[in-house]
Amino acid sequence: MPVLYRASAGYLLRHPLQLALAILGIAIGVAVMVSVDLANQGSRKAFYLSMDALNGEATHQVVGGPGGVDESLYADLRVRHGLQNIAPLVEGRVAIAGEDFQLLGVDIFAERQFRSYAAPGNIRNDVVAGGRGEGSPEAIVRALLVTPGALLMSAGTAERLGLSRSLPFDLTVNGGRQQGRLVGTLGGDVDPRLDGIVVTDIGSAQAWLGSRGRLSRIDVKIAPGEESAIATLDRLLPDGVQLLPAAARTETMAGMSDAFMTNLTAMSLLAMLVGVFLIYNSVAFAVLQRRDLLAVMRALGVTRGQVFRQILLEAAAVGTVGAIAGVLLGSWLGQYLVTLVARTISDHYFAVTVSGIALGTLTAAKGLLAGLLATLAAALVPAAEAASQAPKLAMTRSTLERRAGSLVPLLAAFGLALTMLAGLVLWASGRSLVAGLVALFGLILGMGLCIPLATGALARLFAPMAGRAWGTASRLAIAGVGQTLSRTGVAVVALCIAVSATIGVSVMVESFRASVSDWLESSLQSDIYVAAPGGHLDPGLVAGLDDIDGVAAYSTTRRTWLETVESRTRLIAIRMAPGSYAGTRIRGGDADEAWRRFDEEGAVLVSDAYAYRHDARRGQAVRLATDRGNREFEIAGIFQSYDPNSGAIVMSRQTYDRYFDDAAIDSAGIYLEEGAVADAVMASLRQLAGSGRELAISSNARIRELSLRIFDRTFIITNVLYWLAVFVAFIGILGAMMALQLERAREFGILRAVGMTPRETGILVSIQSAFMGAVAGLAAIPVGLVMAWVLIAVINRRAFGWEIGMQVGASPILWALCLAVVSAVLAGAYPALRAARTRPALAMREE
Amino acid sequence: MYFNKVLHLSVFSVYFFLAGCQGSRDEPVPAPAEVPASSRLSELLSDGGVSGYAMADAPRDFRFPRDHGPHEAYRNEWWYFTGNLDADDGGGRFGFELTIFRFALSPNAPENDGSAWATNQVYIGHFAVTDVNRKQFHVAQRYARGAAGLAGAGTDPLRVWLDDWRVGVSGSGTGFRLQAGDGEIGLDLILEPSKPIVLNGEGGLSQKSEGAGSASYYYSIPRLETTGLLRVVGSEYRVTGRSWLDREWGSNALSARQAGWDWFALQLEDGSDLMFYVLRELDGAPGPYSAGTWIDAGGDSMPLALADVAIEVTDRWQSEHGGVYPAGWRIRVPSLGLDVRVLPVLDNQELVTTVRYWEGAVDVIGERDGRPLGGRGYVELTGYDSD
Repeated sequence: MPVLYRASAGYLLRHPLQLALAILGIAIGVAVMVSVDLANQGSRKAFYLSMDALNGEATHQVVGGPGGVDESLYADLRVRHGLQNIAPLVEGRVAIAGEDFQLLGVDIFAERQFRSYAAPGNIRNDVVAGGRGEGSPEAIVRALLVTPGALLMSAGTAERLGLSRSLPFDLTVNGGRQQGRLVGTLGGDVDPRLDGIVVTDIGSAQAWLGSRGRLSRIDVKIAPGEESAIATLDRLLPDGVQLLPAAARTETMAGMSDAFMTNLTAMSLLAMLVGVFLIYNSVAFAVLQRRDLLAVMRALGVTRGQVFRQILLEAAAVGTVGAIAGVLLGSWLGQYLVTLVARTISDHYFAVTVSGIALGTLTAAKGLLAGLLATLAAALVPAAEAASQAPKLAMTRSTLERRAGSLVPLLAAFGLALTMLAGLVLWASGRSLVAGLVALFGLILGMGLCIPLATGALARLFAPMAGRAWGTASRLAIAGVGQTLSRTGVAVVALCIAVSATIGVSVMVESFRASVSDWLESSLQSDIYVAAPGGHLDPGLVAGLDDIDGVAAYSTTRRTWLETVESRTRLIAIRMAPGSYAGTRIRGGDADEAWRRFDEEGAVLVSDAYAYRHDARRGQAVRLATDRGNREFEIAGIFQSYDPNSGAIVMSRQTYDRYFDDAAIDSAGIYLEEGAVADAVMASLRQLAGSGRELAISSNARIRELSLRIFDRTFIITNVLYWLAVFVAFIGILGAMMALQLERAREFGILRAVGMTPRETGILVSIQSAFMGAVAGLAAIPVGLVMAWVLIAVINRRAFGWEIGMQVGASPILWALCLAVVSAVLAGAYPALRAARTRPALAMREE
Repeated sequence: MYFNKVLHLSVFSVYFFLAGCQGSRDEPVPAPAEVPASSRLSELLSDGGVSGYAMADAPRDFRFPRDHGPHEAYRNEWWYFTGNLDADDGGGRFGFELTIFRFALSPNAPENDGSAWATNQVYIGHFAVTDVNRKQFHVAQRYARGAAGLAGAGTDPLRVWLDDWRVGVSGSGTGFRLQAGDGEIGLDLILEPSKPIVLNGEGGLSQKSEGAGSASYYYSIPRLETTGLLRVVGSEYRVTGRSWLDREWGSNALSARQAGWDWFALQLEDGSDLMFYVLRELDGAPGPYSAGTWIDAGGDSMPLALADVAIEVTDRWQSEHGGVYPAGWRIRVPSLGLDVRVLPVLDNQELVTTVRYWEGAVDVIGERDGRPLGGRGYVELTGYDSD
């Protein structure tokens, strides 16, 4: 049916602005979705790649408690039991030229089967200058073993850092300054997985990390078909040492950031949802504008089905263009978003270096499909409407609006039902995060569907009042909103949802921040905190703290992981200083009794998140894999915490020392004597540390500030996403106002003909916009608050197990109102200008 | 066997990592970087030199069991066991080689008291079994640092180990116990000496090329009565036979004029033993430092020089990996009235690594002073892989 196609194409091309807006709406919705998808996948992929590189060919890993594995176990397995496919590993962090790297201490003789890039024959030194014979594999083995500070990195990293073989360079491990020397580059120079890795001999790694006698883990390679070896090996392991499948271990680590990523995806879908409204708007308008043409076509014998298909086809064409643009835009946006996401993951979960992301076919296909489906879904109602066009001359606008008017209460009823259903899901879905998010969408959509009804009611209520207060023009303007609900309703809903998202998210973030800040205030009891960047504190230094003038007492903290096949649990061992008990808030129960058990009976405390995740209660026991085997510990109490991981268990240092062979201390908190000067004590600390050690010494206030900065950084992404949603809504309002203005050109013509000045016409349109903005803003308040509550009490709780007190300030609400009105007025500015320029004669010539 | 080999080994040992050659020789071996052997050798010679290492440059007061143990101040060292074995039930004949090499990567150990892994000592092991009846040759190798308990050597009691391959003292206290295994092959043997230790060269100082220090300390135990268990491809055999121990250590590099060597260790039925090595010059001619030792049935020994011995190649074998090895010899020592033919029990006893060498069991057939004389032995051939 070429005629219909030509008609459609002609129409779309004659209205380029409208076409552009429709495309933009879809594009932005798709772009946000694609970019979040890319960012999530990019971070996840970077994590897997780096784990891949670190694990190499290992199928299993022998891991111990917090102190790792005794190295004699490795020799025992090899020499006494004849195991061959095993490799020892000492892991840590190293800073070179201000950059942080994964330090991998390997036994190069065992590497061939595990990490081919670190196997002697694959190590290269072609990028670094060397004398005769220096490039041979043997020379590199020799250098790695006997050259002090010898290390390997990828050629790209060496080049980026400007390191050459001839000059030693400074590096920092465990707070200690050392000299490094590049003796070769890792095999597979172009492999970005290797960018974050620095390889050294296991001997240097142990010396630098101060972990003499200990291994981080033993890698094991078990060939397919030799699974019986697993049980054999398992029997050889002492208490507290376990054999874990490498892949499952990686999955467990990756799973820690699942909740965070799910939340991001949900945010991106919000942008898409707003986009759907926008598309509906555009398509509905395109139908309305052509109602005469469609009626004529129907009269000429075009069937209902053909019209329906034609409109959907049109939408599909626009949707395809928009979706393609969206995918392209999204892949560009993703490059920026991924840095934010990776930084948040590195802050909270595990170090991730994303060196670049590529748009995958799957992501692109998902974006295209989502864009197209959203467009078609949004176009369904207008297309049906177009098909219902009687085969006679023009149906009047009023008929159409009457029909839309009868639809409005129906929509509201449906919305109400949806809201209630969503509430039910929320109530009944237990701990499922995804169900919580689905319910959240249901609530938003349900409440959104009630908005047209509210808009109509408010317009009827305010039109006479406005008329009395500001004259006929404003009455006309406001009543006009109510009379054109098929257009304005949708715009108001889109704006309302976008604005309610800002309320919901800001209230959630502010409540959260207040809770965290409050919690930090109470938990940061010490005056000064000392830690070794990327490592442990020197035991000698800790012992020397007592002798520093002005130090009244100190507490020490060790933060570590306990692993089992299916989980990783944060274990914190604290040596409390007198008085530091107040820093941990025990929820419910007798705090003094809890502390007594903690100190005297080896009981533990668990965090909110842990309690939520494991449904743990006071008095129950937790089973932990200690270096003395599996042991049970009584839960003395539950404490307030906002740990981003799946919860933490705290035990006293005394208890910890009894069950774990690990003397490491991560940080110390120093309490000052009455009248002691913090700066003087810090200076003494630095002196005690000596020039060869780097110490992170921070005041109480500084730690608090840093913590909150990380907190704020985490929510940058959230902010970016909801601003994008607001932008989509802004485009929506612009589109709606444009549509109205174009549609009502004749009406404006008459108004001008009966004496309304151009300025008054412009004001009329602006009042309409402002009214719509105000309605959207007002409606956004309850929607936003409900959203905030769901985010705080359901989503965050289910995702992270945090308990957050909801705090509603006036500012997010006022800000949202302003945002709604201002964006509506701004969006209406151009349509207002055009309305003002209406030439009466031209507009009415059609008549 | 001479000193060049250590250097050669220290080059190719590293290539084992690349070659990934484990288990039997049937496994495919990836090609190494294409560097001619000679240039690899010169690279090595230029690398670091020998300054700082202890040198074999003067006669030595050998003491045992002390000298069975390691000499870490020297750059290279090995414990080299070879032997011919028969299954007690008559079900097979075998040859074996179990060698543990020690290399010092630098004259001094790195200063690092923060780790038990820090060391300059590296150990490499070769284990090969020749299955004469099945005409199969199996080889395995290992490498480990001489630290953290992974590999090493000790004197009292003697023990040399690399992973679970170990050389220890036998229950009698006078002999050795060897244990090794890898994939298809394994052994657990007791070796009891039936002859005293023999010092090769001038009282154990074995000159390899010109100049002081271009030498090694070199002693052998030419007869070790051997019993124990041998595992080959799923079967375990109780075996009896005779082994040979070569011990050598030193630090010096060899001149680049030498292309390789042929080493013979023959145990003859009349109770005497012959060890001789030919250092081949680049043109293939025997070099002036070629030498050997004659040990009579009573254990008395006598050094042999190149002029004392006439060796002619009677057969050749083409390796499928390239290179033609001699595969049969006629050896005459006129002063001893000895005239024998030496024949490999299996042509293919080549250790297929990047730098390949041939080390295999041989039969000896011939006569001494007109009376028929047989025997068995081991032969090592290096420097033929680059042909």
